[in-house]
Amino acid sequence: MFQLFLIAFRNLGTHRRRTLLLGGAIAGVTALLVILMGLSQGMEETMLRSATTLGTGHVNVAGFYKITSGQAAPVVTAYPKILELVRKEVPELDYAVQRGRGWAKLVSEKTSSQVGVGGIDVKDEPGFRQVLQVRSGSMDDLAQPNTVLIFEKQAKRLEVKVGDIVTIAAPTMRGTNNTVDVRVAAIAADVGMMSDFNVYVPSQTLRALYQLRDDSTGAIFLYLKDLKQMAQVQARVRQLLTDAGYTLMDNDPRAFWFKFDVVNREEWTGQKLDITNWEDEMSFITWTLKALNGLTGILTFVLLVIIGVGIMNTLWIAIRERTREIGTLRAIGMQRTRVMVMFLFEAMTLGALGTLAGAIIGFVVCVAVDAAHVGVPEAAAMFIMSDRLHLVVNAGSVLGAMVFITGCTTLISLIPSFLAARLKPVTAMHHIG
Amino acid sequence: MSLKNLLSAAAVSVALLSAPVALALEPAAMVQILSVIDDRQRNGGDYKAHIYLEQKEKDKTDNVREGFVYRRDADDKLMILFSKPKTEAGKGYLRLDKNLWSYDPNVGKWERRTERERIAGTDSRRADFDESRLAEEFDPTYEGEAKLGKYTAHKLNLKVKPNIDVAYPVVKLWVDKDTNNILKREEYALSGRLMRTALYPRWKKVFSESKGADVWYPEEIRFYDEVEKANSTIVLIKSVDLRSLEANLFTKAWLESKSR
Repeated sequence: MFQLFLIAFRNLGTHRRRTLLLGGAIAGVTALLVILMGLSQGMEETMLRSATTLGTGHVNVAGFYKITSGQAAPVVTAYPKILELVRKEVPELDYAVQRGRGWAKLVSEKTSSQVGVGGIDVKDEPGFRQVLQVRSGSMDDLAQPNTVLIFEKQAKRLEVKVGDIVTIAAPTMRGTNNTVDVRVAAIAADVGMMSDFNVYVPSQTLRALYQLRDDSTGAIFLYLKDLKQMAQVQARVRQLLTDAGYTLMDNDPRAFWFKFDVVNREEWTGQKLDITNWEDEMSFITWTLKALNGLTGILTFVLLVIIGVGIMNTLWIAIRERTREIGTLRAIGMQRTRVMVMFLFEAMTLGALGTLAGAIIGFVVCVAVDAAHVGVPEAAAMFIMSDRLHLVVNAGSVLGAMVFITGCTTLISLIPSFLAARLKPVTAMHHIG
Repeated sequence: MSLKNLLSAAAVSVALLSAPVALALEPAAMVQILSVIDDRQRNGGDYKAHIYLEQKEKDKTDNVREGFVYRRDADDKLMILFSKPKTEAGKGYLRLDKNLWSYDPNVGKWERRTERERIAGTDSRRADFDESRLAEEFDPTYEGEAKLGKYTAHKLNLKVKPNIDVAYPVVKLWVDKDTNNILKREEYALSGRLMRTALYPRWKKVFSESKGADVWYPEEIRFYDEVEKANSTIVLIKSVDLRSLEANLFTKAWLESKSR
């Protein structure tokens, strides 16, 4: 076998130009695949970090409260009891926070905009400080009542700075209008789409705006020690709360604000809990990730077809050139299988070397781009939730890409190799190539 | 000073001192005013109004809509159906059993809305087109007389009664002393912030056969958004028809049929 491998390797060396051309193409495809995977994984990591800090936990216990069938509010009542139950029964839990949810009009002296209002207890949210970069003001001030944290773009749009007073106006759960005047305590750097329509106020301010009781909140965000346990924890929390007598909504993998239509159409009143995970809450953004992965797949497929045709064609030519050699090898006793394996080894070696080179190039590009902190256009920043391009190279994925592309090139070479093996020694030796 | 002069001075003093007391209205009188306002606008039978809405918003082009308001006060039913422009034609609201439904023919879907939300995104609300229920929903206090241009008005402060849900819990009302027409209305949020001002420059009456008396309606209402000062809405009630409406009018099927 080793001899066959050696022959294949030497053959590649003999036909250097052909090898370089094909190897280069394979390397190019591999490098592109590695870069696209790096981009996709980087996006996923950035989105996960930003989203799970700003708008969702890994698993959420949220829900709706309806005073009348036509008025749903994203409210969980008597949340400390639920929190206590979850803390007791979910050992996978790292930490949990409560977050008020609202949709209100933010009005400055100059203009206004509709925003999602998050009610937070900033002292209990260490992740907040890790994800958000405060450009002016102080995040600590958000612990004071009637303050607000907004983002740079919002500050520009509303024409306000730290210390200015803005008004938050919204109807309460009963539809009565209410307002609260808040001081801009901090202006944070934009984090893509989340910062376009979200502001944060102290929990108590949000409760005052919506006239909610102290034990009411919008959702309980559960953060797990290991994200892989998300599905099983979600299922367990569901069961746990059902057993505890809570009424739960059917699983609907969408962000909570997409559910108002459905909830408002239903006749029930009172409280219904909704158990979701971060992917559900961010489903309106994760499609970009799926689109990128889809694009990567299509691109890889097209390039693989081109390379496959190239390899097949090249091996065809090689067989034609080496027909007499095959005839001689067959005449001195080489088996058909071994002839086939010899050509397969040639394609496999070419694939392995090409993908290795490509993986190295891709890796270097990813690391360099990540280190350079390349900015992204505003439109892209909206979706990836970051104004910087972040690429993550996962060794397993790179190895997988290498094996996949090498495997494809080897499989493609099966046809010409099989044809070469089928040649009769006499015919082959008489061939004029 | 003679006794006559002394008595005259005393009489004037008493009159002056007691003037504010005399001007203030008793709670029963205020409720009476509110009842009159409600009753004057109520038909008892059916009601159809042709309306025109002009909405002005900052940094946006003005938005104009036309439509019809249908009411059957006896059953507490209300329908608003837009007819113009083409993009809005067929859209409507239907109030059924204390539920407000909105219909968009473009998607063919009914959505349950909160009773107190804006109508078609303007500064107007369902209550502005519905039957007046001031006496039923609010407790009044008297704030004295006020001059509004050439009119002298009673200024009433209305506070919502317990367990009644309204969009604005506090309303200040300027009621023309002579005609009992509302001239101005200020609406306040729970926080006490002024949210919306409405002016009623013109009132008109139409004789109702079913009621056997006149029904009054504001021919023009100007709403000013006090939170976003640049926003305002003008509602014109172009005509009112008090004849009986089709029996099956207040149904989803009827509204849907109008958009086909």
